[in-house]
Amino acid sequence: MSRIIGIDLGTTNSLVAFLGEHGPTVVPDPGTGARLLPSAVAFLPSGEVVVGERARELAVERPLDTILSVKRFMGLGFEHVTAADRQRYRFVEGGEGIVRFDVGGRVVTAPEVSSYILRELKRWAEAALGEAVTQAVITVPAYFNDSQRQATKDAGRLAGLEVLRLVNEPTAAALAYGLDQGAEGVVAVYDLGGGTFDVSILKLRGGVFEVLATNGDTRLGGDDMDEHLATLLLAELPAGLGSRPDVRARARVAAERAKRVLSDAPRAEMVLTLPGREPVHRAVTRAELEDLIREIVQRTATPCRRALKDAGLEPADVREVVAVGGATRVPLVRRTMQELFQRPPLVALDPEEVVALGAGIQAGILGGSRRDMLLLDVVPLSLGIATMGGVFTRLVDRNTTIPVSVKETFTTAVDNQTAVDIHVLQGERELAADNRSLARFKIPIDPLPAGVPRLEVTFLVDANGILNVTAGDLRTGRERSVEVKPSYGLSDEEIERMLEESFDHAETDVQERQVREARVEADMILNATREQLTRAAALLEPAEGEQIRAALHRLAALRDGEDYLAMRDAIEALSRVTEPFARRIMDRSLNEAMAQRRLEEL
Amino acid sequence: MSTNATGDRQCWRCRQEVTALVCPRCEAVQPFSGEPDLFAVLGLPRRLVVDPVDLEQRYHETSRLVHPDRFQTASARERELSVDASAAVNRAYRTLRDPVALGRYWLTLNGVALGGGQQGVPPALAAEVFAVQEQLEELRAARAEDAPSHRREVSERREEVATRLVRLRGELVELYGADGGPALEDLRQRLAEIAYLQTLLGDIEETLEGGAA
Repeated sequence: MSRIIGIDLGTTNSLVAFLGEHGPTVVPDPGTGARLLPSAVAFLPSGEVVVGERARELAVERPLDTILSVKRFMGLGFEHVTAADRQRYRFVEGGEGIVRFDVGGRVVTAPEVSSYILRELKRWAEAALGEAVTQAVITVPAYFNDSQRQATKDAGRLAGLEVLRLVNEPTAAALAYGLDQGAEGVVAVYDLGGGTFDVSILKLRGGVFEVLATNGDTRLGGDDMDEHLATLLLAELPAGLGSRPDVRARARVAAERAKRVLSDAPRAEMVLTLPGREPVHRAVTRAELEDLIREIVQRTATPCRRALKDAGLEPADVREVVAVGGATRVPLVRRTMQELFQRPPLVALDPEEVVALGAGIQAGILGGSRRDMLLLDVVPLSLGIATMGGVFTRLVDRNTTIPVSVKETFTTAVDNQTAVDIHVLQGERELAADNRSLARFKIPIDPLPAGVPRLEVTFLVDANGILNVTAGDLRTGRERSVEVKPSYGLSDEEIERMLEESFDHAETDVQERQVREARVEADMILNATREQLTRAAALLEPAEGEQIRAALHRLAALRDGEDYLAMRDAIEALSRVTEPFARRIMDRSLNEAMAQRRLEEL
Repeated sequence: MSTNATGDRQCWRCRQEVTALVCPRCEAVQPFSGEPDLFAVLGLPRRLVVDPVDLEQRYHETSRLVHPDRFQTASARERELSVDASAAVNRAYRTLRDPVALGRYWLTLNGVALGGGQQGVPPALAAEVFAVQEQLEELRAARAEDAPSHRREVSERREEVATRLVRLRGELVELYGADGGPALEDLRQRLAEIAYLQTLLGDIEETLEGGAA
């Protein structure tokens, strides 16, 4: 069985790791040695798709065709797209359900965009491990809802990866710290990434990592800081220029760089270079940055308090607070952490790598190489169904340990009803309409008088935090099929179609290239052998001619087929049997050349 | 009545006699039909007195044996059994560690419905619920200049209800430890009171938070 890899699919950067003999290791880009893959995907008019550093550079030239923070759109519906989003990207307007981007003349969904990032990381891992990789653990923000998780799983599938487990990012970080420091007791993980904020409270004991509570905000992160800082730079520009997407993209890059500098230095300089213009400079101090981002950082306080409350703990009960995510390098963030948890944050491991390391460890646990560790995670948001009058009836409370299953019995309201519709939602609000719609489930039943059918429906949240619904007829004891219509996701059929169109397509492309290359080689050796057989027949040993002709015919027969592996075998067989013959031909021509020279010397 | 998680039977894989969730010989996770006994799932006798330290230890040990992480490379059937068993173990721990949830489960085991009985809510409590609802309504409707005083009143009420809940839960645990345990009707009434107060506390907190936003 091949190795399982662990992937941190981040908003700004993504990483891949695996559990080796000496612990978890981050895998670098085989070409450049870089450990972070920018989560940027550019769609060029030529049809070419560019991923990573080059795509991030392309973003300033082609801002509308380069998706920079696709994670923010995972599992979202068209109605969740904001005005700010519209300034950055083109969307397919008027659509229902899942968000669709219009990039370089193509229409793509967030899972498809993410799948390009995953494919690149898969390639890195395959280069490092020297074998094909087919299975992965992928991390997600703890506060991701069911649709966002499902979208991440779909992205894996589209990238040709079987996603064995989705692990919550703060939990993964705790795993990495637990292994590194052998910590015991209550730990808080404060994870402020590029686009998401999570806080998890865990209890570590004897190798068991039990999540007590989690909370967060899936649209809050370092990107928002860059955006605010960029406004200072844009204000220096002549009116009208600042709203151009390419200008804004360049300003964000400059702002991000300045933000990093300000983590260590009191001042930094933002420079905006536009083609054909004098560069625009804007100096910025740390105090200025802190004023700009104070409100963003303060927004992390409420989730922290709620998580503590749900865990039934006070800040004083927390033994350690772990900093995760690039944005925790910002001094104001660290001070805020210290205020909230009354102790300095722990930063022993690189906050940008720690989640990937944890994902690598969980991959090892699933592969059976770490039987001493066990992760007990929770469902982040309450799950329920819409009942009479649009009321949200909770089936599973937030922070319940997964897997969790709940059974409910349903019946019919009118005579001869042929199906029961169940609308599942996720959230904490009292009214169904105020919560996030996940999916509608349609379950067929036998037509009977109202109230007679007895349908038992099981809602199971698996270890990935994803909902599975099964149904049985209590009267007949028969299983019932459940038809799922995701509210903001891809249906199974859509994924199949995308796989055929894109991934399998890519696969076919690769295969076609292999066939074509093998055919060229086959033609070369076939032609050479045929020529030698006619020109140097005298040099053939008895029986040798038969052998060569047999091998030649076999290759000629395969040459027009598609089986390039068989073709390669036949090429090798032919070159093996012709080798002694070819050597003799070579010797003869050498001898002839020598004879020629001697004659001339005479 | 059997107190086993799965009832006495043979392991589906190695035919060993098995009464627990996991076969003691081959560690195969066993299937169960219907609702498993939540005490038996963690290898405990049916008693209202539960030692929290022992409970957590049993929970971790059993989870190690049945959690889906352990069966990632196993057959589809084993993976399915592991998810079912793991969900049952989680439910057992969630129920037994909380005196209120445990009490409710105890009532179900004894065929008593929480909302049943003749009296319903004690009249004193009904009057209190009414008074609090009125306070909350006043706070929601209060003009800006009056809001702080209403808010203070409601905050005081929150403290009062929260303290009372802590006391009631403490009494519940004491009752579980007493000789002979609680009479079912007494337990039902106490749990009903706690349920009412909990809902009330939730309403108070929501109103206070809503006002802050």
